[in-house]
Amino acid sequence: MNQIQLRELESKCIQEEYPFCSAACPIHVDVRAFMASLAKGDTRGARRVLDRTMPFPEILGRICDQPCRSQCKRVEIDAPLAIGRLEQFCVGATNTVIKLPKLPSKGGKFAILGAGLSGMTAALDLSRKGRPATIFTSSASPGGSLQQLEESILPGKVFAHAQEMLAHYGVEIQTSINMNQENITALVHEYDAVYCDLDDLDQSLLPFAPNTVDAITLATDQAGCFAGGGKTAEGSFSPVYQAEQGRRAALSIERFIQNVSMTAQREKEGACATRMYTSIEGIAPTAEITPGDEPAGYTAEEAKNEAGRCIQCECLECVKQCVYLQEYKEYPKPWIRKIFNSQTIVQGTRAANKMINACSLCGQCSVICPNDFPVAEVCRSSRVDLVETGHMPPSPHEFALEDMEFSLSDYCALVRHQPGTTRSSYVFYPGCQLSGSNPEAVKQTYAFLRDTLGGGVGLLLGCCGIPAHWAGRDQLFAETMEAFTKDVERLGNPTVITACTSCLSVFKEFVPNMNTVSLWNILDKVDLPTQTTKPARALTLHDPCTTREQSELRASVRSLCEKLKIEVVEHDFTGETTDCCGYGGLMQYANRKLGEKAVARKAERSELDGLAYCAMCRDNLAAHGRPVAHLLDYLFATTEDDPLSRTNPGYSRRHENRARLKSDLLANLWQEETIERPAHTAIKIQLNAEVEQLLNNRLILLEDLQKVIHHAENSGSYLLNPNNGHRLAKYRPIRVTYWVKYEPIEEGFLVHNGYSHRMILPEDQK
Amino acid sequence: MSQFSFVEATDWQCAACNQPLEATKVQVTYLKSAFHVELMTCPKCGFTLIPEDLAVGKMLEVEQLLEDK
Repeated sequence: MNQIQLRELESKCIQEEYPFCSAACPIHVDVRAFMASLAKGDTRGARRVLDRTMPFPEILGRICDQPCRSQCKRVEIDAPLAIGRLEQFCVGATNTVIKLPKLPSKGGKFAILGAGLSGMTAALDLSRKGRPATIFTSSASPGGSLQQLEESILPGKVFAHAQEMLAHYGVEIQTSINMNQENITALVHEYDAVYCDLDDLDQSLLPFAPNTVDAITLATDQAGCFAGGGKTAEGSFSPVYQAEQGRRAALSIERFIQNVSMTAQREKEGACATRMYTSIEGIAPTAEITPGDEPAGYTAEEAKNEAGRCIQCECLECVKQCVYLQEYKEYPKPWIRKIFNSQTIVQGTRAANKMINACSLCGQCSVICPNDFPVAEVCRSSRVDLVETGHMPPSPHEFALEDMEFSLSDYCALVRHQPGTTRSSYVFYPGCQLSGSNPEAVKQTYAFLRDTLGGGVGLLLGCCGIPAHWAGRDQLFAETMEAFTKDVERLGNPTVITACTSCLSVFKEFVPNMNTVSLWNILDKVDLPTQTTKPARALTLHDPCTTREQSELRASVRSLCEKLKIEVVEHDFTGETTDCCGYGGLMQYANRKLGEKAVARKAERSELDGLAYCAMCRDNLAAHGRPVAHLLDYLFATTEDDPLSRTNPGYSRRHENRARLKSDLLANLWQEETIERPAHTAIKIQLNAEVEQLLNNRLILLEDLQKVIHHAENSGSYLLNPNNGHRLAKYRPIRVTYWVKYEPIEEGFLVHNGYSHRMILPEDQK
Repeated sequence: MSQFSFVEATDWQCAACNQPLEATKVQVTYLKSAFHVELMTCPKCGFTLIPEDLAVGKMLEVEQLLEDK
């Protein structure tokens, strides 16, 4: 990622765009913050918001013509906020809370001809910036046409207050000046720049050709002479437009004096468009609050209640749904900036590593985002970058990659034509997780496919390599894909039937020319098995995140449920917006607690028990404690128990199941023997459920325990507690040192505890 | 972690050498870093004890810090 790509991506996230009200406000008052303060009853806080942006809150707060009101999002629900009335309440109830600082003088001298609101604003802004300004008006006091407003609307004291404010910033005001042609020409020549306030000048005396005022810069055909104010393009008198014109003029004069571009980056000056997106779903309509005493305006209570109607427009659509973005308390714009900073650091801590590795890469946020912000793509390419630059931390993905290696090893992987045949029209590819989670389902599904489909149905046991892809190990992934492609070629390029939607998504993306089809599509097209079962109650269906772009597959699953007469109740986050169960992107390995939050979110989308058709979704939901079945359980009656009560097998059993599935199938279908597993796997281990769960959470496999005990018992090297006969042994097969506390029992060993570390002890340092 | 002592009384004894463990200064390493710490080891064969709370606590913390360097 370079700076240009960073900016391009940042701009896709619209959370920092103006809310609709502020965009419509010519001077971009932070109406949202103003409302938030008022809603808390913090009137001074609200005044602070006005003081920060409005040139003369005492004036503008009373007469603002509120162009923001028609843009208020509440228009779409009920009635817009009474913004003008709330401003009146606020300035009526408070005095100035903050005075903006005055910058040191930067020199020059500037004349403001005319003392309407735009002239006063120009003078105020210039003086604050350290540009001494003098106002000249033919009137006896400043205010221009505002002075004609009734006392009840704009009390005389506000002009006095405005004069005090101008004086505070060093603005000189010369009143009752004879503004004839001669005097005006003299001022234009004497001062470095002048601003003509069209609200308070005789139009016949203007020192420039009329109709030459530039709408963006307010420059005229007379160099150094600017003009603005007066009527809007629509021909009306708008106080907030007056203020905006004065502010724009001050900015132009500053640029003119500094001799920099007069036009660059001025798109957001004045009322502008906004790309903000705010959902109004679920927001209840509420009536606008009108003051009990109309002429007196709002009471404090009324103002508080009306401001409380503000829905605080923002986007955050992705964050609302995603546990990952919530965990890191970010929306995509600052999120990607953190990643960029972490990736480009030369020395020190790469602070975003954990964040980069914790995303499930599920893509839900991009579907929800109005601009398809590609969080998953950024995370995955950042992982590739970490791997390629040698900065990928070893711990987040190593366990999953070793699990993948085991699935691809001779202990688990298998490539065969259907027994008794030499060619395959199809090959069944159950995938590593179904093989690990539910080997019986694999056996029965394969038997059904052999019986139902003609032309030979081969079998391919392995792993599609998606863990490597997710881990950013592109080279390992490419090698895995190549080996898989060769296996399929060796079988004569049959159609690959995948039970796992992740495998299918990988094959479709990376070997698009291969004939692949989902098991669910196939099952939906043939006569179903005769021995199907169905749950006694309605279930909610959990789509896996890798079906987000596979609508046909999702439809087949629903069609199958209908044929099985399973009553399915859809919840709101299925299909394109479905949640990840925590396995995606290897989230649960990089951040176990976050993985648990992800599956909790998925489970809690419905109060009903669940039906899954991804083995990882099924097992993770089961681990969360939610009764959940796999669709194959009902198609093939894979268990005598209620499929909803099947527990999560955990990493160890999944590991062992894969190896056993291969040896069972080889023995039963092909009458062949599997290669023998290493000697340590013969060690018999017992452990209670609590220890099993602890070891699962610590990513310690049964086989790791066997390796440690095998090593300890053969070498005699272990620690002994003479009080109870417990042994404590350690062994470092490759990169992790495993510790096991155990005792010998009649048949094998009883394991009490296990833990691991990556630091290398003196005896393991070579 | 570099100057720390994790020595504490323990019931564990080295089974192979039939020896109680003793506090010893040792060097543990991870990635490109080395730390001098005091741990309980067998005075004869050098078997080093890493108690559970150390492995899943301070040691893990330091491992994670080093992985992000």
